[in-house]
Amino acid sequence: MKVQISNGIFMALIINMVYAKAIGLTQGSIAREVGGDMWISTLFSTIQGCLMMLLTVYLIRKTPSLNIIEQSEVLLGKWFGKIISLLLFFFFVGAAGAVFTTFVYHLKDYFLPEAPTFLFILAGMVIAVFALYHGIEVIGRMALIGVFSILMLNILIIIGSMSDFDIKELLPIFDAGLVPDVWASRHNNTDWAMATLMAAMILPKVKENKTWSKSGAYGILLGGAFVVLWPILESGVLSAEVAGQYIISCMQMARSAEIGLFIHRYEMIMIAFFALSSITQIIMTFYCATISVQRIFGIKKFNRTIIPVSFVLSAFGYWVVLDHHRAISYIESYWVLLAMSISVGVPIILLLLGLLFKKKLKNANAENLGT
Amino acid sequence: MFPKYIILFLSCLLLLSGCKTGKRELSDLALVMAVGLDKGEKEGTIKVTTQIARPADARGSTGAPSGQTGDPIWSASAEGETIFQAIRNLSTFSSRRVFWAHNLIIVINEDLAKEGISDIIDFFTRNPELRMRTWVVVTPNPANQVVSTMTGLEVVPGEALDKLFRYTPISVQAPRTQMIDLQSAYLNESTQPILARLHFVKRGVSNKKEGQAGAYNQVELAGAGIFREDKLVGTLKPVEVRGMIPFIEPIDTGVHILSCPDDKSKKMTVELKNQKFSVTPSFQNNKPSFKISYQTTGSVVEAACPFALEERDKVRALEKMIEKEKKKDFEKIVKKAQIEFKSDFLELGKVFNNKYPVEWRKIGPSWETIFPTVAVEVHTKATINDTVLLKKQTKPGSVKN
Repeated sequence: MKVQISNGIFMALIINMVYAKAIGLTQGSIAREVGGDMWISTLFSTIQGCLMMLLTVYLIRKTPSLNIIEQSEVLLGKWFGKIISLLLFFFFVGAAGAVFTTFVYHLKDYFLPEAPTFLFILAGMVIAVFALYHGIEVIGRMALIGVFSILMLNILIIIGSMSDFDIKELLPIFDAGLVPDVWASRHNNTDWAMATLMAAMILPKVKENKTWSKSGAYGILLGGAFVVLWPILESGVLSAEVAGQYIISCMQMARSAEIGLFIHRYEMIMIAFFALSSITQIIMTFYCATISVQRIFGIKKFNRTIIPVSFVLSAFGYWVVLDHHRAISYIESYWVLLAMSISVGVPIILLLLGLLFKKKLKNANAENLGT
Repeated sequence: MFPKYIILFLSCLLLLSGCKTGKRELSDLALVMAVGLDKGEKEGTIKVTTQIARPADARGSTGAPSGQTGDPIWSASAEGETIFQAIRNLSTFSSRRVFWAHNLIIVINEDLAKEGISDIIDFFTRNPELRMRTWVVVTPNPANQVVSTMTGLEVVPGEALDKLFRYTPISVQAPRTQMIDLQSAYLNESTQPILARLHFVKRGVSNKKEGQAGAYNQVELAGAGIFREDKLVGTLKPVEVRGMIPFIEPIDTGVHILSCPDDKSKKMTVELKNQKFSVTPSFQNNKPSFKISYQTTGSVVEAACPFALEERDKVRALEKMIEKEKKKDFEKIVKKAQIEFKSDFLELGKVFNNKYPVEWRKIGPSWETIFPTVAVEVHTKATINDTVLLKKQTKPGSVKN
């Protein structure tokens, strides 16, 4: 029997996929470009993400039982499917660099600066491999706990920083200008890009295909709402100048939070909540990369692909993370280019091909219904 | 199935070795409670003094010396060409590893602050052990003495200094400046940093040894240090801080001492409540200007002369006095910022930018030269509507109404 996940779990996966990198690394990059308008850029990005998610759902709905790679095979044959798989594999390898940077820098730079980097990479890899062997259902259930963790983290940061929040720090609105604000949103676009391409891979496993659009859009919007809180607080508490100084600006927020006089220095609790979301990001990146490799080489068994793919992604993540300068310049330039071109390019190509070869898609649907 | 679990077990074993990496035993750490920064004896060096808690002797509320040393703290100084080097030099004689995460206050000597504190800002905001919520102050006294002076009721002086700032909104003697504020002001294009100021006063009173009243030093809040970029350019007296606080911090209650309307030799105290302060920028004829508006309601908490709310003339006279004094406070601080220090520590540029971002782009780059010439208008309004518990005047029974 085919594994199926609920729409709620699908939403939880999207929220987790959007969150971890977006609140820290991404906000630092945006703050360096548009200062106090960082929250506006994040909002713009959420709207763009929502539209891309709707486009992804529209594409997959044409062949509800096939993922984006299988649909491309239907449209232009096996080799075209392999090219799309390769592109998606590159995307998720690139994403591994970004998510490992998020995971490692949060833990190593702030908590265990003397621990070797490979230890964190290994931890992420082992957990991801373990999760992948247990399948999407288990990962999905973990993502549900991840949403609870995100909610708790947000509540804790609000309580701990509201007393120092100065709304004037958010002014003037559109200080950097509308065009720069929209342009800066590309950093956050890479975060929802991971979510939309993940959706393109796992949508056929989501039970209620009638509510895919709603689940997908709500997932992005909720994820966006959870994320946008951070740039607002980072501007209002730290100031945009300070947020822009740091690689992981959300950690500075967390380290400055205090609940009254008695409860402070509780970032250890917050990082525990954060880690679950960050780990889910790593797991889903591995999961989607594994599916891509499976299709490239035509490997029947998913489990056989897990370990080699995990090593490739972890090795790339390790290489990126090893040098702070390399990590940040990769995330702010190369990764944006790679992520945007693939996450927007591939769906648009398939959309156009779908319009040209409507019949092929219809036949594939009929075949699948027949089976 | 079996090898899978062995692999998992071995992986866990490898990962759990992370507990060994970077592990620090609590008994191996020297917990810094306060740090003082002075100029070093050699030219171009910096002297770092750390106030380290001695856990065995800093217990409970009295610091009963169970460790038998008698001192709840241990202060140590070291010099270096950089702060980091000075801290490393501490380890040449400290038996424990210096740990910064619990540092409560950074005290900078004014001679050092005059030369620039950019390296201090950088170091204390770059290090993962240090926190943004640490108080930062300047002092005219040697910082190494300030951090090792027992003050107030607390066992650990660093804790005493920390608590000193918790109650500053009541005393309004100094701004409450933390590293997060200093960094933010330093990085801002128009705002200049200010720091709280501490100094020594002979205030200690011994109830055990006669003749020792006021014989030893205590640390006291003493106004503010004004910066331009990263250099200390002047200081404000505590009485001047009263006019500055509303510009940079949310205001709580305040206290105002006035002469009695009928008898100038006697004093009245008015507690100012519901203080509302706003700065409104405007831009006319290509010139920025500001309107400062202040409103408060007062409560007479002490009167050395007969006073009741029914005496409307007296009430109005007091209100006028408060309005006049407050106006003077604000005008004085603005003048000091514009003329004496040429430093926008009042955040006027920021306020202007918030309302006129387009115009700010034109004048922002030359704000340093424009700021001293900007017109500032002050409006104050005070209402006395409360005499706490008393309805009638406090006067001898022989005096008839």
